[in-house]
Amino acid sequence: MGLLSILKKLRSHPDKELRLLLLGLDNAGKTTLLRQLASEDVSHVTPTAGFNIKSVLSNGFKLNVWDIGGQRKIRPYWRNYFENTDILIYVVDCSDHVRLEETSQELAELLQDDKLRGVPLLVYANKQDLATALPASDVATHLGLHLIRDRTWQIQACVATDGTGVKVFYVYDNCMPNIMCDIKYSVFIIISLSEPTAE
Amino acid sequence: MNIIEMVFFHLYSVLQWYFRPFIKWFLRKTTKLCELQRICYGDRVGTQRTCNIENSLMLSRTKDVKEVVTFLDAVVKERRFIPSNFHQFLEPSINIIIRVKKINRKIHDAFIPSFRLCLQQIWCYRQLIEEVEDLRCTQFDSNNTSHEEKLLNLWDLMVPDKPLEARVSKDWQYIGFQGDDPKTDFRGMGLLGLENLLYFATEYPQVATHVLSHSRHPKYGYTYAIVGINLTSMAYYLLKDGSAKTYMFNSKPHLPDISLFHKFYCYLFYEFDKLWIASKPENIMEFSMIFKKFENAIRTELADPASVFRINVEVDTI
Repeated sequence: MGLLSILKKLRSHPDKELRLLLLGLDNAGKTTLLRQLASEDVSHVTPTAGFNIKSVLSNGFKLNVWDIGGQRKIRPYWRNYFENTDILIYVVDCSDHVRLEETSQELAELLQDDKLRGVPLLVYANKQDLATALPASDVATHLGLHLIRDRTWQIQACVATDGTGVKVFYVYDNCMPNIMCDIKYSVFIIISLSEPTAE
Repeated sequence: MNIIEMVFFHLYSVLQWYFRPFIKWFLRKTTKLCELQRICYGDRVGTQRTCNIENSLMLSRTKDVKEVVTFLDAVVKERRFIPSNFHQFLEPSINIIIRVKKINRKIHDAFIPSFRLCLQQIWCYRQLIEEVEDLRCTQFDSNNTSHEEKLLNLWDLMVPDKPLEARVSKDWQYIGFQGDDPKTDFRGMGLLGLENLLYFATEYPQVATHVLSHSRHPKYGYTYAIVGINLTSMAYYLLKDGSAKTYMFNSKPHLPDISLFHKFYCYLFYEFDKLWIASKPENIMEFSMIFKKFENAIRTELADPASVFRINVEVDTI
């Protein structure tokens, strides 16, 4: 399901609900991001056993954000949460050089899954405040994002702990589906519902 | 519905603000006792009495009483409210209140020890919040030898028959850490999470081993250390919002201090494990649901000031 169908879904459903799925290795910062999106305190986060879910209301949209634990033992359960996902958010700890390979592999597996076919991908290159963090562009290369042809994707540098680069808004630009991010500290998501010119 | 409740609540607090002094004056005249005395004589020792005393002191509009509260709060901020200092700080405070409330020491000698215990419990609890916060804010640091020793000690206590392969090793997953190095798992709970786990393993070795063996169950297993850190978070919030007062004030003869907090944690861990096993969960993904259910059950129990909490260890040693 691409962004086009998200828009269709939004137009046919007045309640305007979106399902966002947060994945990534353990200690990537998924729960911190989730709390940041919900404008909650981020200083008391604990490792996620199982999953967390929060509904965030923003600009008339109800975002159901699912944050699934990232430890190896839990990863087999990720696929139970794939269905009906509107946007896949993948979080990478850019300072964890040792596991860059591991996180690339996990992402590659996700992108091959049938249930996630065409789902737009947003990658958060997290922990940019740490001196050892790789820049987002390097992370994109490692993850092989440039080779993705079957969906829209976007990579976003962020610091989940202080909210820099976290808040997202999505625009629909002509018929080029696009995800845009980085409105520092603002709490809204816009999906413009302009008519696609060609379909 | 919500608006009605809010209006009612506001009305109630306004009425209470205006009428409380009249009610107190009336009772004082009829019983010849001040509110503090009525509480100390009438309420059961423990949570009920101490919470009502605290409430009464906090609502007081008498200048001297307010000063006593401010003074003791300042002592707590400096972490100086410890048993060896009690006499130095409490006797002057008690004297002030006895003078202000015109209590006759000779007739009411039963009041003073009872009131003193309440003051000890109230301000020990407040200092405990500060101490727990200090521990929580201390991040686990691999360069700190005492942190490292504690972590390695935890392994030796939990898995005494198998030495750790290496400091960074898959072994850690055996006791339920996420990866090869537990240091990133403490996160928002900092050193408090480690201290809690360590206390459980040190003070209740049989119970901790028993719980660990449950967590290793092939079907109903869970990640011991991670669940433990989430329980630290729960204990921390219950302490901060005052819910844990029931536990702490009914734990005679212990005053609220860090080891009583650890004991509270051990109680939570033991009870959570029981609930988890009894729930026969499909897999770890049911954690958040069962955890929420557990928290609600604990909150309900804590809401009753008569609740007394104890780990039922006898069952385990068989």
